[in-house]
Amino acid sequence: MNSKKRDRLEVIFDILKIIMDRQNSIKPTPLLRYSNLSSSSFAEYYNELLSKGFIKEITDKKGRKYITLTDKGFKYLEKYRLILGFIDEFEL
Amino acid sequence: MAFQHFFGPMFLGTEIVFTVAAVVFCFLIYFKTKESYELTKYEGIRYFRDAFLFFGLSYAIRFFFSLVLLSIIAFDFIVPRIMFIPLFILPLGYFSTIGIFYLIFSSVWKSFKSRSLLVLGHSAAILLSIISFITRSHMILLYFQSALLVLAMIFSSTMHKSEKRVSHAKVLYFLVALLWLINLWVIDRRRPFSAEIEIFFELVSLAVFIAIYYKVSKWVK
Repeated sequence: MNSKKRDRLEVIFDILKIIMDRQNSIKPTPLLRYSNLSSSSFAEYYNELLSKGFIKEITDKKGRKYITLTDKGFKYLEKYRLILGFIDEFEL
Repeated sequence: MAFQHFFGPMFLGTEIVFTVAAVVFCFLIYFKTKESYELTKYEGIRYFRDAFLFFGLSYAIRFFFSLVLLSIIAFDFIVPRIMFIPLFILPLGYFSTIGIFYLIFSSVWKSFKSRSLLVLGHSAAILLSIISFITRSHMILLYFQSALLVLAMIFSSTMHKSEKRVSHAKVLYFLVALLWLINLWVIDRRRPFSAEIEIFFELVSLAVFIAIYYKVSKWVK
């Protein structure tokens, strides 16, 4: 499974997992660093995840921005392995 | 005449049960995979589930089309039923052709641009439904869709030359398309098969849909 689209699913999974593993709260810069993506790719995925409602931005009283998972983001992480199994089973 | 068995209460009942079951299983596969697609927007899942949506619609239209087709020669009514044929043949041609295309696309989409596939599939389906509409013949659909299936098999075997054995998924895809063609063939006015053979093909078709639904349910909770 080395298609471009499959890679996209994996990248999304990795980004969401990084957020979850950091107690569901991480700043954008460490997230970029841990995700092992170029800045432009990261920005692309980041905007996609925001627009699709997988993650949301929270700003604290000091004006610092944090990223957290939404319910949809958690659902993606929960279903990811099963969806991969489904894709493999039907060779999609 | 061979068509008479269709209007026997037993066979008509069987035909209704088959159509309802086939449509229900196709739609179940479609709705079962909704969440997976909405979460991932994965092209392969989209083609797969849309293929079953179109097959479900095709089986529903097939039933009404066969009723109209046979009632023209079974009853001597003044109502010009022949006028209904084009009304059914247009959606039948479009939905079934695009269903077969989407089934093929679900496993080859990675090698092509998605937009090109969509343009090709929809253009061919529209063209074919128009040809069927003009000729008022569902047999033209049968010939074209059979050719499409043969081409897909040749294409698939050249694409996966290195693979030693054919996967279960490919066998199921092939059976879905082949059984659709057989089920389309049997609604011909001359009814090429006896009622028992028609029922046998319908049972095999349902078994294939149930097998696919079962496999989908295993992964998509």
